Amino acid sequence: MAKQFEEHGHHVIPTRTLAINLAWLMALMVLTIVAARVTHFLPTMPGNVVAMSIAIVKAFLVVAIFMGVKYTTNLAKLFAIGGFVWFLLLFGILIDYFSRPWEPVKGWEPLPSTSLPRTPGVDE
Amino acid sequence: MAEHAAHHHEPGEDVVFGQYETIEQQRESYIVGMWTFLVTEVMFFGGLFLVYTLYRWKYAEVWHGMSLHLNFWLGGINTAVLLLSSFSVAWAVQRAQVGDTKNQIRLLWFTVACACTFLVIKFIEYREKIVHGLYPDWAYQGLPDVEFGPSRLFMSLYFAMTGLHGVHVLVGIIVITTLIFMTKAKAPSISDYIPTEMVALYWHFVDLVWIFLYPLFYLIPA
Repeated sequence: MAKQFEEHGHHVIPTRTLAINLAWLMALMVLTIVAARVTHFLPTMPGNVVAMSIAIVKAFLVVAIFMGVKYTTNLAKLFAIGGFVWFLLLFGILIDYFSRPWEPVKGWEPLPSTSLPRTPGVDE
Repeated sequence: MAEHAAHHHEPGEDVVFGQYETIEQQRESYIVGMWTFLVTEVMFFGGLFLVYTLYRWKYAEVWHGMSLHLNFWLGGINTAVLLLSSFSVAWAVQRAQVGDTKNQIRLLWFTVACACTFLVIKFIEYREKIVHGLYPDWAYQGLPDVEFGPSRLFMSLYFAMTGLHGVHVLVGIIVITTLIFMTKAKAPSISDYIPTEMVALYWHFVDLVWIFLYPLFYLIPA
């Protein structure tokens, strides 16, 4: 059996591993619903942190086990991880929206600096 | 290694194409190629997630209020359906690796069935929103308890992001069904489990996007 699972250098993931992974994903899904909608005890920030942490753990389980990144070659791992690292770097753009008020530009004073759309009558 | 080229092979034997040295190198190339495509998909959705983050930050209260109007039970059922389909497609890859074509095809059909279920539930949700005047076009009616403009922005992003994801589900159905028929017809391009593996990687990516869309739209804390 072990021979069959390792032949030709590719990794055959046992059904048991796949089933356990599914069970974890389902459990985490129930947990995220309970945390957000059923209990109502979490304030905004911890609520956001919990919801996103659970989503990241779920994504990790899908990528590592179902997509087989845990068992693949180093080159394939590099490409897989690279995509998600890029995704995090993208959010660095938000620094711009956050930091504009730090250096006021002449002519912008009456309004808080923003590149978001203005609501007529409210912002102007 | 040219002796191993595509033209002389027995069923079940690995086919190494001329440009590769070994079967391992050939398989790695396919997987890396597929991941490269998935990275472009991450970039494609990434921009939308960025826009979402920016407006949720700006209109946190409206986002929470609108989120309460989405049916999180239907969204939850859809999450479970997609997780189950990810499991079945991963199992199909495993069956393809050991040469169990019969069960591989059964599991692929099951995955297609899950994908169709997802789209039916999504259709029910969309219909409900449209009936309530929440489609963000000129006829958008808004809701009495939430600010009009930002609420329309929320619905725009909801339809854009879940819609783009829905298109990916539809493409998944087409691709998996094509794979099933090509496998059944013993198409020469399907010489091992790699085509199934690549289709499965795409399908897992579709699941991955939904794993984030679900809490971001349906479960926004107060």
